[in-house]
Amino acid sequence: MRGRPSGFGNPWLQLGLSVACVLVSEFLLKRGATDIAAPDSAFSWTGVNGLASPLVWWAILLIVVSFISWLYVLRYVPLTVAYPLSRIVDVLVPLGCWIFLGELISTLRWCGIALVIIGLALVAKPIAQIEERL
Amino acid sequence: VSLLAFFFIVVSLLSFVAAQLILKRAMEATTTTGFRNIRFVFKVTTGIFLMTISFFLTLGLLQRFDLSYLYPFQGLSVIFITLTAAIVLKEKLSLRLIVGAVLISAGIVLVSMS
Repeated sequence: MRGRPSGFGNPWLQLGLSVACVLVSEFLLKRGATDIAAPDSAFSWTGVNGLASPLVWWAILLIVVSFISWLYVLRYVPLTVAYPLSRIVDVLVPLGCWIFLGELISTLRWCGIALVIIGLALVAKPIAQIEERL
Repeated sequence: VSLLAFFFIVVSLLSFVAAQLILKRAMEATTTTGFRNIRFVFKVTTGIFLMTISFFLTLGLLQRFDLSYLYPFQGLSVIFITLTAAIVLKEKLSLRLIVGAVLISAGIVLVSMS
């Protein structure tokens, strides 16, 4: 991680920003896709009819923001570290579905969430130690 | 899940993984060659194109399945990206990173199965 900027340019902060934008965009996409769902039309497999929903456009805006901060992260952090960490969103999405959409989380799904968190801790711990030394 | 749905999930996943590798290459190069560089523009454009394909396929799938069911399929991308980044981009891979990536992927698959 050469010449790592601090403050708003801190790659870890940008990674967090990227994850937050992805998280919110997922919920906007689900809402938008449900609103204009046309499962009988073959064309809707392409998803392009989703563009009829304003929520989808808000989601696209957030995805663009998350993409830019993600590119910035890639400049400084190896993909083998940055990408697994970015998947914290896979824990946050089901938890958000549980809290905001009222979708159920089974015992098996809770176990999966726990595994992801342990995996994230394994990937993140060496970084935390490096940061402490700096 | 129909065979067609599975096909679209796989295509979406593969184009996403390829995009990440290409974008990482592109952004790494900027530290030496800067942004005003034809190869950088070409790589980023290719990466964005692949991510766009992945995005619209996902949007099509979202119209048919619950988000909490569908989304975690991307979890497999953790293993794919960690391995391909080590092989193609020659990034250092420790046992800790491998175990972490496998646990994250396994966790996400468990979430998607239940």
